[in-house]
Amino acid sequence: METFGVWIAAILTLFIFSFLYKENPFYRFAEHLLVGVSAGYIIPYTYYNVFVPYAWNPIINKHEYILILPAIIGVFYIFRFSRKLSWLSRYPIAFSMGIVGMYVPLTMQANVLVQMRSAMLPLTNINTILIFIGTVSILLYFFFSKAHKGLYGKFTSIGIWFMMIGFGSAFGYTVMARISLLIGRIQFLLKDWLHLMK
Amino acid sequence: MNFFERMQNLDRRYIFILVAVAVILPLIFPLGLPTYPTPPVESMFQHIDAASNRKDKAILMSIAHDPSTMPELYPMEISMLRHCFERNIKVFLIGFFPQAAAIAEMALKEVLEDYPDKSAGVDYCNFGFKPSAIMIPIILGMGDDISKAIETDAQGNKLENLPIMQNIKNYDNIQMVVEFSGGSFGGVWITYARAKFGVDVGCGITAVIAAQTYPYLQTGQLKGSLGGLKGAAEYEKLVDIFAKPQKTFSRKKLTDKQYLKQFPLSKTTYKYKKARIGMDAQAVVHIMIIVFIILGNIGYFVMKGQKK
Repeated sequence: METFGVWIAAILTLFIFSFLYKENPFYRFAEHLLVGVSAGYIIPYTYYNVFVPYAWNPIINKHEYILILPAIIGVFYIFRFSRKLSWLSRYPIAFSMGIVGMYVPLTMQANVLVQMRSAMLPLTNINTILIFIGTVSILLYFFFSKAHKGLYGKFTSIGIWFMMIGFGSAFGYTVMARISLLIGRIQFLLKDWLHLMK
Repeated sequence: MNFFERMQNLDRRYIFILVAVAVILPLIFPLGLPTYPTPPVESMFQHIDAASNRKDKAILMSIAHDPSTMPELYPMEISMLRHCFERNIKVFLIGFFPQAAAIAEMALKEVLEDYPDKSAGVDYCNFGFKPSAIMIPIILGMGDDISKAIETDAQGNKLENLPIMQNIKNYDNIQMVVEFSGGSFGGVWITYARAKFGVDVGCGITAVIAAQTYPYLQTGQLKGSLGGLKGAAEYEKLVDIFAKPQKTFSRKKLTDKQYLKQFPLSKTTYKYKKARIGMDAQAVVHIMIIVFIILGNIGYFVMKGQKK
């Protein structure tokens, strides 16, 4: 059975790779199969692992009737598809937005305040000096109420260099990520399917 | 049409063939290029290793990705589980996406083949799938009581009845939360679990988002990070040379050739060196891409000069 699965996976991998040559029916078949299988997997999985344990069982078996209220509000999302009743879907959205508000202080603490504090270090070594110049020059680059000319313009162009280095490192990592995915598939084909690797 | 004009107009399918060859050959004929662990990976290893043989500490692995990112993240998960089992570290797994729960199950099954003495509910516990919609309430709830926030494991057993939960109450007993993800670097854990309860957070991530982790590593909000296939390869090596032979981490030993000779790659099972084998191909392709970029630029300037 495992061998059968490996063969199916290998053939579908080759179907997907065939797109590199040109668009073809084999690629489209594999692509549509992926979409169908994903949806087919998610729907019953969600039903048995979300709806049953978090709504059906508590309400029907444990008689926690208070849960009917959030369940009904949740169902309102479906009315997005009705022109006449789509206004009902605003209630669960409004409720979700209210919850987001609750998380703002923690988000500010972790993503803004702590990060800002680390950018305000004494200029005692080359790293902190670079962080200082990079942060200030990039912030000034995005300050558009003053024309980027003269000495000010030259300083903001340093910000561009810092950003370019950042983009370069991100691009390098992206290349590595994409090649890693290819390596993963080739390892599967060579090792599990063709047994060419030790 | 001269050489550079041909290069500029080269059918991209020739490039695809060259990339495929550059990947396939090093995989069939390994080059055995060395792997050098970087500080974020060392830090992650040391943090987890500090929980060795402790009954009151556990590692929580949050699997938050689907099969599309498995080539990069799965070797990390396998290595971390191996590390925990080698060093008698309690380990929890949780998946907030349906596919993630299946990946956690698969990783456990694969590593347990080599650790038949490890039991579910005693040495490890798979919390199974929990809906992402209640991820934040679960994360916040675990700060008070993990058993109450999670309630049951993947098999439906009550968490409070499991032996593994003895001496484990809340984040005070979690040595580190490690999120494996292709789209975030533990941001939710940093924001809600670290900011509110002070738990240490690490991440295993795809290389695409690895650059974003550095500001958080600098502030200490991330205690360690494994970035892409390279991060996985580095962690594999650390487990091989320190955790497996029951040695404490030492930076000196990392450069000691005599010490490293004791752990040749050929002696390691394939699943525990998959990332390191992949890095050979990665290196060859990177060199090829660098050559292409240089050639492309030379061609651009030569043609620009000819036009003038």
